[in-house]
Amino acid sequence: MNTVQSLPLLQNALTVGAILFSLGLIGILTRRNLIVMFLAAEMMLQGISVSLVAWSRYHGDWGGHVLVIFVLTVAACEAAVALVFVLQAFSRTGRLDSAAWQSLREATVGRTVDHELPSIDTVPPRFPTLTPAGILPAADEDEPLQREHV
Amino acid sequence: MQEFSPSTLLVLVPLLPLVGAILTVLLGRQLGAKAHLPAIAGIAGAAAVAVMLLAATARDVGPAHGVHAEPVRPVEMITTLWNWATFDSAYAPPAGSPAADPHLTPQDLAAGKDIRSFSIPVALRLDPLTATMLTIITCVGLLVAIYSTGYMHDDPGYPRFFALVAMFVFSMSMLVAASNFLLVYVFWEAVGACSYLLIGFWFTKPEAARAAKKAFLVNRVGDFGLAIAVFLLWMSYGTLDFHDTISPDGVIMPGIFGQTRLADAAGYVGGILGTAICLLLLLAACGKSAQLPLHVWLPDAMEGPTPASALIHAATMVTAGIYLITRSAPLFAACPGALTVVSIVGATTALVAALIGTVQNDLKRVLAYSTISQLGYMFASLGTGTLLGFTAAIFHLLTHACFKALLFLGAGSVMHSMGGVIDMRRFGGLRRVMPITAATFLVGSAALAGVAPFAGFFSKDEILAALHAKAWPAAHGDHHAAAAADGPFQLARFAAEASHSAGSAVGLDALDRPETWQILFWMSLITAGLTAFYTFRAVFMTFTGPTRVPEGAHGHGHGHDDGHGHDSHAGHAADAGHGGHAGNAHESYESPWTMTLPLVILAVPSALVGWLLFSTNWLSHFLSATPSLTAPAVASTATPHMFHMNLAIQGTLAAAIGIVIAAIGHLGRRSDGPQMERFLGPLQTLFANKFYFDPIYSALVVRPLEGLALVAAMFDRYVVDGIVDAIAGIPVALGGIVRRSQSGLLQRYALAGVMGVLAIVVLLAWQLRG
Repeated sequence: MNTVQSLPLLQNALTVGAILFSLGLIGILTRRNLIVMFLAAEMMLQGISVSLVAWSRYHGDWGGHVLVIFVLTVAACEAAVALVFVLQAFSRTGRLDSAAWQSLREATVGRTVDHELPSIDTVPPRFPTLTPAGILPAADEDEPLQREHV
Repeated sequence: MQEFSPSTLLVLVPLLPLVGAILTVLLGRQLGAKAHLPAIAGIAGAAAVAVMLLAATARDVGPAHGVHAEPVRPVEMITTLWNWATFDSAYAPPAGSPAADPHLTPQDLAAGKDIRSFSIPVALRLDPLTATMLTIITCVGLLVAIYSTGYMHDDPGYPRFFALVAMFVFSMSMLVAASNFLLVYVFWEAVGACSYLLIGFWFTKPEAARAAKKAFLVNRVGDFGLAIAVFLLWMSYGTLDFHDTISPDGVIMPGIFGQTRLADAAGYVGGILGTAICLLLLLAACGKSAQLPLHVWLPDAMEGPTPASALIHAATMVTAGIYLITRSAPLFAACPGALTVVSIVGATTALVAALIGTVQNDLKRVLAYSTISQLGYMFASLGTGTLLGFTAAIFHLLTHACFKALLFLGAGSVMHSMGGVIDMRRFGGLRRVMPITAATFLVGSAALAGVAPFAGFFSKDEILAALHAKAWPAAHGDHHAAAAADGPFQLARFAAEASHSAGSAVGLDALDRPETWQILFWMSLITAGLTAFYTFRAVFMTFTGPTRVPEGAHGHGHGHDDGHGHDSHAGHAADAGHGGHAGNAHESYESPWTMTLPLVILAVPSALVGWLLFSTNWLSHFLSATPSLTAPAVASTATPHMFHMNLAIQGTLAAAIGIVIAAIGHLGRRSDGPQMERFLGPLQTLFANKFYFDPIYSALVVRPLEGLALVAAMFDRYVVDGIVDAIAGIPVALGGIVRRSQSGLLQRYALAGVMGVLAIVVLLAWQLRG
């Protein structure tokens, strides 16, 4: 393997990895949407994976590749678990904003407000419906036909 | 008898009640109303065995010859069950002490041949004293247990009561059968614990809980004395065994009351050390037997169930002190000063308790003070140090156990029927509604007062004779003449001074003078009169006069089930339909047969046992074969058995005066009317306040201790807890700093993580720079 040829390749790959990692880091530190934060975290992971592959190729060692496969596997599992958490958090608060969980702070610490959370849109969304035909079934008052919000 | 050796039988006496107690504890809930069966079976078996042992021992002693000239052969039998503990090379007796072996040369001493091991065998003994005590304990225990099935029935603690009674009979049997001072100490504590648990049987009642605590704490003072005495005995004698033991290499180790030491004139420590041992034993006896100044617990102990009072606080446990001193007779014989103190304590207690008893209105408390007073009599008798004195004390112990148990059970019967009321002013004329109780109570009272043919007359006469012989030795100058009084003591004193070359005369010995004994004799005689007075005052107040029954008492005329009127049920008084009915004499308030039967059975010995034992001289002959009483210093004081007519007249006269005064004041009168004591003036206040013992102890002991406890509590709260709280405050303060970063914002946490990783990276880079 030609080391001289592969050194610029390594540098380029590491640069891409660093950019991906930094973008992910900035995203996770600045965004409040839980799904976006999760995506940002995935991006950091991929940045690391790129640099691992690059080093692996530079050294002519398959260890990095194997590790990346493992990282991808773990990341897939993690995505499944994390999305469940996000979904649960959403169904509890009706928001995807991480600031909605601010009340988990220490009781003596004051609330941090950069700007107030927008109020939940209580108007039920309209879904396209077919024209009803036949006998209208008796609506169950207790069971709403659709969720209040998405 | 042929199949069982005496040693097997001896083990059975404590074992059967112990098994009964354990079975009652295990099966009590299942048995329910039959929970008394294991306990009564165990105690009954023990009583049968004890009587067999008494017969066997009596056969060994042989018949009374009538002439005491030849020394009685000591009778004892030892059963060693197992060795509790053995300590090798535990003890080297100081040179010159009674424990030292005089045959050892200085070379032997240098080679360490005098160093002995110390072992604690669990050994039981059988001798006349133990056999007598075992019989008293188990027989009275059996009758009390039978009585309790009537008295305690329907009580929620029914199984617990019988378990405790059986446990007590076990402990007390072990106490009198143990042949080792350490075992005696163990069971001394065990009977104290049983007493505590039975006084506090109705522990939800604050007075009962307080009385139990008081009894336990006051007894601690005496127990402390016993512990120190045991230490000193070990230091002085190198063993705690009563009996001689044979060491593995064939050497006889003389026990404290073994034949070897008893035969040795210089075998016992005198002087200051001996007197200290004796006074500490006396302190222990004062605690357990409720003598001045530790008597304050016994009247309060009446808060317990009446059968327990009868068994423990009248007939048996309180006599443990008498037993201990009788057992230690050779120790006391070497210290005449200590003996005199025993008599002084006893006679003073007898007089003071009798004076207090004259103004008590609570029937059980009259009996409690009477018990203290009679125990004082026994102590006065023990203190004479003569064979007559010791046997008279045990004789009185025996008769007292019968008639005082009878009186207590009679009082319990009254209390049971009167719906828990025991104040004599609230009832009267009960002889018409409780004929059996009244008749048996009268027999017991006559015995207690010393009326001529009843038991107490003879035993009290013997005690007075023992005191009289010390006070006026010349008057008893038969073949012993005046030497009988001080001869053996001179010998003992010489022996003591020989063993303690530096032994200075103990100041207490100066008390042993005829004048002292004369005072003590007169005190005892006055006490006899007072005893008759307060006893018959109680009889007249309770059983004569117009028939009055307190509200809440339940007569059988109303078809009322008996048995739920005892003293636990204080709120029972509002029983409908029994308004204070004076003269409603047609109802029967008599207790059930399980309660009256023991009364009738106890009335027989209360009436007869004194005359039987006195006329045949059986008991004193029997007891004189006890090893402790065959010590030369005691045995040499034996006097021919005789009836002292002049003393009998004096005693009877005193009793008659007491009864007549009581009759003038109370016979046939309403018990809530004006009392005799209004003639006492300021003395009445003194007696009614029990000579202010409780306030004095409260001021001198209880309050300072409470103050000390308060200081300790403050120290604990503010200093110890303060330091602990200060240390606990450090993490809290540190946490307060870190806590501020817990904002609940995910971005902050993520930032903190990034900063941390950066810090680690920088640190690593810094470390790897070179």
